[in-house]
Amino acid sequence: MTVFRIALVAVLLVAPVFSSVGHGLQEGPSYQERDFLTRVRRLTIEGKRAGEGYWSPDGKRIVFQSEREPGNPFYQIYVLDLTSGDTRRISTGLGKTTCAFFRPGSDEIEFASTHADPKSKQLQDEELAIRASGKERRYSWDYDPEMDIYAYSEKSGALKRLTNARGYDAEGSYSPDGQWIVFSSMRSAYDHTLTGKEKKALDENPSNFAEIYVMRADGSQQTRLTNVFGYDGGPFFTADGKKIVWRRFDEQGLIADVWTMNPDGSDQRQITTFGSMSWAPYIHPSGAYFIFASNKLGFENFELFMVDAQGTKEPVRVTYSDGFDGLPVPSPDGKMLAWTSSRAGGSAGQLFLAQWNHEKALEALKNAPPRKPAKKS
Amino acid sequence: MTTRGKPRGSTGAPRALTLSVPKAAISRASAFIVVIAVAAGLHAQASKTRAHVETLASARLEGRLAGSNGERLAGDYIVAELEKIGAKPLPGQQDFRLPFEFTAGTKDSGSTISLRFDPKNGVEGGVVFGRNQARALSFSDNGDVEAPVVFAGYGIVVPESQGFGYDSYATLDVKDKIVVVLRYFPEDAEQKTRGILARYADLRYKAMAARQHGAKAMIVVTGPRSPNAGELAPMTFDTAIAGSGIVAISVTGEVAVKLFEAVPDKPLPASQKSLDDANPHATGFALPGVTVRVHAEVEREKRTGHNVVAYLPATMPVPGLAKPWVAVGAHYDHLGHGEAGNTLASKDEAGRVHFGADDNASGSAAVLAIAATLAKQPRRRDVLVALWSGEELGLIGSAAFVTAPPVPLDLIAAYLNFDMVGRMQDNKLVVQAAGTSPMWAKILEQANIAAGFDLAVQEDPYQPTDVATFNLASIPGLTFFTGTHADYHKPSDTADKIDYEDLDRVVDFAAAIVRKLEDATEAPSFTKVQQQMQGGGGRAGVRIFTGTIPDYSSEVKGLLLGGVVGGGPAEEAGLQKGDVIVEIAGQTITNIYDYTYALDILKIGQPSKVVYMRGGKRMETTLTPAARK
Repeated sequence: MTVFRIALVAVLLVAPVFSSVGHGLQEGPSYQERDFLTRVRRLTIEGKRAGEGYWSPDGKRIVFQSEREPGNPFYQIYVLDLTSGDTRRISTGLGKTTCAFFRPGSDEIEFASTHADPKSKQLQDEELAIRASGKERRYSWDYDPEMDIYAYSEKSGALKRLTNARGYDAEGSYSPDGQWIVFSSMRSAYDHTLTGKEKKALDENPSNFAEIYVMRADGSQQTRLTNVFGYDGGPFFTADGKKIVWRRFDEQGLIADVWTMNPDGSDQRQITTFGSMSWAPYIHPSGAYFIFASNKLGFENFELFMVDAQGTKEPVRVTYSDGFDGLPVPSPDGKMLAWTSSRAGGSAGQLFLAQWNHEKALEALKNAPPRKPAKKS
Repeated sequence: MTTRGKPRGSTGAPRALTLSVPKAAISRASAFIVVIAVAAGLHAQASKTRAHVETLASARLEGRLAGSNGERLAGDYIVAELEKIGAKPLPGQQDFRLPFEFTAGTKDSGSTISLRFDPKNGVEGGVVFGRNQARALSFSDNGDVEAPVVFAGYGIVVPESQGFGYDSYATLDVKDKIVVVLRYFPEDAEQKTRGILARYADLRYKAMAARQHGAKAMIVVTGPRSPNAGELAPMTFDTAIAGSGIVAISVTGEVAVKLFEAVPDKPLPASQKSLDDANPHATGFALPGVTVRVHAEVEREKRTGHNVVAYLPATMPVPGLAKPWVAVGAHYDHLGHGEAGNTLASKDEAGRVHFGADDNASGSAAVLAIAATLAKQPRRRDVLVALWSGEELGLIGSAAFVTAPPVPLDLIAAYLNFDMVGRMQDNKLVVQAAGTSPMWAKILEQANIAAGFDLAVQEDPYQPTDVATFNLASIPGLTFFTGTHADYHKPSDTADKIDYEDLDRVVDFAAAIVRKLEDATEAPSFTKVQQQMQGGGGRAGVRIFTGTIPDYSSEVKGLLLGGVVGGGPAEEAGLQKGDVIVEIAGQTITNIYDYTYALDILKIGQPSKVVYMRGGKRMETTLTPAARK
């Protein structure tokens, strides 16, 4: 879920390689954005940036993160009521937060937060001072090891801590039955004495330690599912609860692809071999395809793509607008799409919503050419 | 939904009522069709804005030029509509119409210049030049000035705050003298310098500088090394009621040459050349042995325009409520037949009625419809409903209102403005001036959840519409805009091209925002937004003509073209609507301001490379700028 940040960090680390727009991506019929997305509307305006909007199971609300409070330069979590337009903060207001998700069949909303870190206020003030000096850092995500997952009760307002492990625990989402949370954790960087090579890796690119875990919704039975060096993150259950979809980075952190596995970690399969940074996959409720973001068309140019759930075809491009497009989440009825985009100008993203043309998506996927084998390198 | 049927008069019978279908003929299928037809008819009838736009943009109103009969007829309609919803004249006013006087045009009515040479200089007697040789500048005071003469170079003073030393008056004593200045700015200066100097080269700015240095009159010469060499400066359209406090005329090259005979060792061409590299140490000099008498006579045609302003009194006034007024407004005037000079009509359209359906019958209709909606609801604040005139001549109607406000300005919580809101594309609505209050983002976000627009929110309140007037009066404001188009300021801006369905959505959105403002205990606080382009010259200093029509609604990187002027340099260069200029003459263009600066450094007649994006492809062409007359 949070690879948006990582992608931009990576931009700093390597010389950008730009590929020209639209080079031989699609054979077959050509489509444009309005074939899939109509009645585009902007959901968030307030604050510096907003993103990662996830639907409530009834489709009437969206939970998202936004930097919009004067005293805190970091993300906090908000619930937006799509009927009244009212927005309400549910996180504590202190520290950093990310990656919220409604628990189906419950009044709970999970998210990750650092508010328990006694240094939170100090970190906020330091960041505000840097911004006030005009020397704003390029946007980046720091994998704060104090990040832990909490469940917020909308009825009582209580926060229940679900993870305690040293290391970044975040990017959580519930299974459709509300009984499980799948998430990403960097605890493997802290649970044993690191070798020299591991230490170096932790300094240079800590996200390589991120692996996918699953736990009960009450935080029990925390179980590791992946074991490959490279950032495994952004996991979600598919609509039928039978698979987990996530994205796996290579060790350099430049190439990522969409993968699926069973909820017990078995049958790990690569769905895309797109040769670019492909991340934030989310299943359409029909179960037929994933929508995800990729920089296939240029290192800093993220667009939405979709791919059939089995990964038999090449991905199909969905968005065609200037700026960043990522973190797509279809509505529970499959008729709308919420995503994060900087199409309104500037570099920071905001939440957008549009009508989603499922039939056209199926047609385009059907017409897509077969998946190309991975290039040997 | 764009309706492309013929405009119906507002008095026409609603379609739903004229439908008569024999009952016997209704089968299941045709019943279905009838239902659709009736629904469509009801839908058209239910439009909150269509009748307003069709009436205001009808031929009878002749383009609603401020001060014209068409403006009067439009005012009649608006007054009737306001009365219909129960709006009242403002407290203390008898009438909805608030007149203001303005200058509709200027002409020279006999300016002259006389030169009297000192006999001992070897040149005998005096010379008088009249019509065709001397012409007042449109902002000149009327009067006669006789005094010795000082040549003050280009007459440019760059304010010290700019950190760029250039002052044509640095070494000169011009107190009680007449100054002669060159038009434009140093011709051979390097690009960056030109960019700075050009901003202070507007004649109005030069006149101000001359006056501040104590000069009694200013004579402008278009130098032999400049475009339009030796020509008189045209009388630009200027709506100021009075002169600018100094006598100012332009003279021909012939007069100038004669004048410079006073300094045989410094003829005009050489004198101009010595200044043209913009060396700040090159100075002007006195012209000894000659006394000049300037007679300036400008005739200003005065007219009276009318704002139409009403209010909906609060139904549940709250004693002690901060800033108990909320204002909504739009200008209802337009270009008439294009006689005020701001038309973009092609040659074969020239002189026709400029209907101004989008600009700004659409905004006027929105304001009337918003007022009608609010009139039916309980209100905690008074709602001021303003239809401005004189906007197209330079925001003069709203400026007159703010100068002598019938309602104290510090009682107005906020002002919402609507200018060109009838041509929505792809659900995009531009909201500008959002930087005027930290509250706007929150209010817009919440209201847009129900409205569902693809909002483009822009901070800048220095817009070419009446919201700018309220910003200067420190009132938080927003202005709504659906983007420019090929019919902008042309006779082809007609009512059949208006998207009424989306215009009605703008009405609902804005009415919801006004409701929030009415209900809020706290009025939005005002934030002053820094103006991005400083300088005295502004656009008036631009002498280059490229024939581009920028799309101000866009936030793309570069300059998106909303169109090109037919036959202009841009069209000849192959540029077209939708192209995005990203580089011109080696200058990177990321926004309209970059572009304006770049215009200053282009040279007339000199081909310049233009890089632009079309359909995602980077392309190049050569554009040869022409002179703006």
